[in-house]
Amino acid sequence: MKIRNLLAAASVASLLLGAFAQAQTVGPSGESATPSSGVTVGDDKIAALKAGGYKAALLWHDQSDFVNAVTAGAAAEFQRLGIEIVATTSAGFDAAKQRSDIETALAKMPNIVLSLPLDAVASAVAFKEAKDNGVKLVFLSNLPKDYKHPADYAAIVTDDLFQMGKQAADALADAMGGKGTVGWVFHDASYYVTNQRDNAFKTTIENDYPNIKIVAEQGISDPARAEEIANAMLLKNPDLGGIYVTWAGPAEGVLAALRANGNKTTKIVTLDLSEPIALDMVKGGNVAAIVADEAFELGRAMAAAGARALIGEDTPAFVVAPAVTVKASNVEEGWQLSLRKDAPKSVKAAK
Amino acid sequence: MTRSTAHNEGPKSDHTPVLKLENIHKSFGGVVAVEDFSLQLKAGEIVALVGDNGAGKSTLIKIVSGVHSPTHGTISLDGETVTFADASTARSQGIEVVYQDLALADLQPVYMNLFLGREAVYGPLKLLERKKMMSETQALVDELDVRIPSAKAIIRDLSGGQRQGVAIARATHWATKLILLDEPTAALGVAETAKVEKIIASLKARNIAILIISHSLDQVFRLSDRICVLRRGVQIGVKETAKTSKNEIVSMITGVS
Amino acid sequence: MTKLTSPNQWLDPKRYVVYLGFVLIFAFFAITLADDGFLTTRNLSNIVLQTAPATIMAVGFVFVLSAGEIDLSFGSITAVSALSAAVIMQEHSMLAGIAAGLGAGLAIGWFNGVMVAYLRLPSFLVTLATLGLFAGIARSMTNLRSIPVVNDTFTGIFGSGSLFGIPSLILWTLGAVIVGHVIYRESRFGAHVLATGDNANAAQVAGIKVPRIRLAVLMASGFCAGLAGLLYAGRIQAAKYTLGESDLMIVIAAVIVGGTALNGGKGSVVGALVGSLMMGMLNNGLILMGLPVSDQMIVRGLIILIAVAISLRDNTR
Repeated sequence: MKIRNLLAAASVASLLLGAFAQAQTVGPSGESATPSSGVTVGDDKIAALKAGGYKAALLWHDQSDFVNAVTAGAAAEFQRLGIEIVATTSAGFDAAKQRSDIETALAKMPNIVLSLPLDAVASAVAFKEAKDNGVKLVFLSNLPKDYKHPADYAAIVTDDLFQMGKQAADALADAMGGKGTVGWVFHDASYYVTNQRDNAFKTTIENDYPNIKIVAEQGISDPARAEEIANAMLLKNPDLGGIYVTWAGPAEGVLAALRANGNKTTKIVTLDLSEPIALDMVKGGNVAAIVADEAFELGRAMAAAGARALIGEDTPAFVVAPAVTVKASNVEEGWQLSLRKDAPKSVKAAK
Repeated sequence: MTRSTAHNEGPKSDHTPVLKLENIHKSFGGVVAVEDFSLQLKAGEIVALVGDNGAGKSTLIKIVSGVHSPTHGTISLDGETVTFADASTARSQGIEVVYQDLALADLQPVYMNLFLGREAVYGPLKLLERKKMMSETQALVDELDVRIPSAKAIIRDLSGGQRQGVAIARATHWATKLILLDEPTAALGVAETAKVEKIIASLKARNIAILIISHSLDQVFRLSDRICVLRRGVQIGVKETAKTSKNEIVSMITGVS
Repeated sequence: MTKLTSPNQWLDPKRYVVYLGFVLIFAFFAITLADDGFLTTRNLSNIVLQTAPATIMAVGFVFVLSAGEIDLSFGSITAVSALSAAVIMQEHSMLAGIAAGLGAGLAIGWFNGVMVAYLRLPSFLVTLATLGLFAGIARSMTNLRSIPVVNDTFTGIFGSGSLFGIPSLILWTLGAVIVGHVIYRESRFGAHVLATGDNANAAQVAGIKVPRIRLAVLMASGFCAGLAGLLYAGRIQAAKYTLGESDLMIVIAAVIVGGTALNGGKGSVVGALVGSLMMGMLNNGLILMGLPVSDQMIVRGLIILIAVAISLRDNTR
């Protein structure tokens, strides 16, 4: 359950509303996406970076598997480049705490700051001092209000949100044999991350799969109510071929509803890795696939973007980390690719 | 209802009684707690109120202290008829109560308890005048011989007898007319009881009338000038302590002769 | 003008726990983080600035706990207050915004207080409910959006400004602590708060209007939380529903470590200030040590546990 997907990024989201119709992930100012694989620091630059004695601070919004994987990716890259991580913080989704964390971390005079700005308005003020001191800022997913590239920040790195939604659609269509009816459980809130992914799924089904129809649409704002919502959906559409669920938390509720109904045929796809969902998938249950992001790679790309900025190399304004479709067959690789961790024991044991 | 006995036959005196209760009656709903009670108290006199549990002693104390108002009957202080809206009114008229459960704030110092609710303040900001409260408290406890470490001692650190001494000292400080003592030594050991009784006896000299409830007849005989007996809300009689005996009082309390 | 508290309280060793803890933690960080910027004026002033809202909430909380009540809702009040001020200031003057922020705090405090004082509902349950109620209202007020605060005078007074070279947040902290201390220690109201928390029956029979005291302390807590909301809004130049949400544990810990009894009747405003600074310092020092976030939480939790255990050993009845 990655709560980061619930981040409020209202101003960014509003900028992006117009972009939903497009067939790819676009940046806050309409920047086109650069794949993270294109953001690297060559071995020839390592010596110069090491000589600089540079320092980095990681100022996260919260703690989760995802943040741990991003941190691990960034830490590995920083270590390769001889950059020391001098502070790591978690704001627990509190914009005021994040402001304090930034001030505190600046006492250690970092050269690079990686962060997910919790609030576009508040973070514009919070990061001002760091920005004015020439600290290279690399942001995750969100952008402080009115910050300009490359003067104010080195890069924004995010998941390839469109790809995640699209791959979820492809995986579900594949599991359904390319035909049937689908229920679409989307996140009913103005959130950049989930909105992009949900809409990418819908667009893909509508454009690429003429024999699949979305017959039920249901928004969800409280994951705890997913089971009720799924029950209502199944009552009206007992022969649903598949259900898309906006992320793993509510998907667990949807799965519970299917099990309670003795339904073994309706397929589920959802986003972000979760142990109970993966377990159902490897046991051949309702779950057809989970689409995850490559969080470790995302962290690596953030670190690389910061380092490039430090030595005066160009950085693309908007970088996306790839998505990975995890099925029963590749669950262990998927876990490694996304979180750089072994798949949970229960999942491995069930294979 | 006939009453041949005169109730108010205290020693004749030229002075107006401090407290005069006339035909006090109190019922709660249909239940009669006290009926037709009359009593007079003079300054410097200690009167004991005795009777079994449920005889109406506590109800009477609550009526005099303003917690309950009588269903009918009159209360006079120094000859003037009064009605108490609540306990504060009674207190402002110079009536103080020492409760069975002491009513002390445990974590506060002695002097703050002595001035509880009536703290001395000074200046335009009305700041607490601690020095004054401390010195007045110290003077009073010395005078009453309440042996506590200091006026600044925290109540919790004191013994039961010391606490009761503080409670009595507080009543003494504020009472101008009457102190009501509700089982003042019920929770105390022998030595402490003696100490508290000594303090109570010394109050006579301050020209205050004292009404005391006690279960201990020994204590009643040691302290009081007169004894008033209640049984099931009915006033059985008032006797001068010097002219009665324990046996007589016991038979009045129990109704068995 | 303020006199010393009674000497007895100064002789009580428990009173020193928070000061001793503060000095020990300070010394530890000063030595181990000497090269990491801990002792820089900038960092030390950061600690005070960052703890300003929590300290002010703690001042109100001392009154509530001392009166034998509790207020779990102050975090939500902070959010509602900050949002009220920010929303009003978009259309109206700064003064209207300040009035809205503080008024919201007082009004919610009054609401809590009436339930507790006059309907005799336990404050724990009332404020647990209003914590959720007003957290919900804070969310719905602006539909989860954050509202920018662009009024420079406001952000100066409540955030980044200074007077005679002293940052305004430090002045607010000092002001709240001094006013709070004088009321708590030197006023009749403070004495009545302590008496109410100590023995409500005794206070009642002594003529203290106990319900009025209960209402007043919850309103004081609401007011302090409202002021904290303005400081947050001024500091981050925006208001958001999350403001104050995470302060509950920190404020309770600061107040308890600062020598205030959980069951009322005893406490210290100055102790709460030191407790709050100690929490801020701990947070700051552990980040500067470069510990991973989970380890920071573990160490902080253990230190708070030890400090609370020592200060509570003799404070509860």
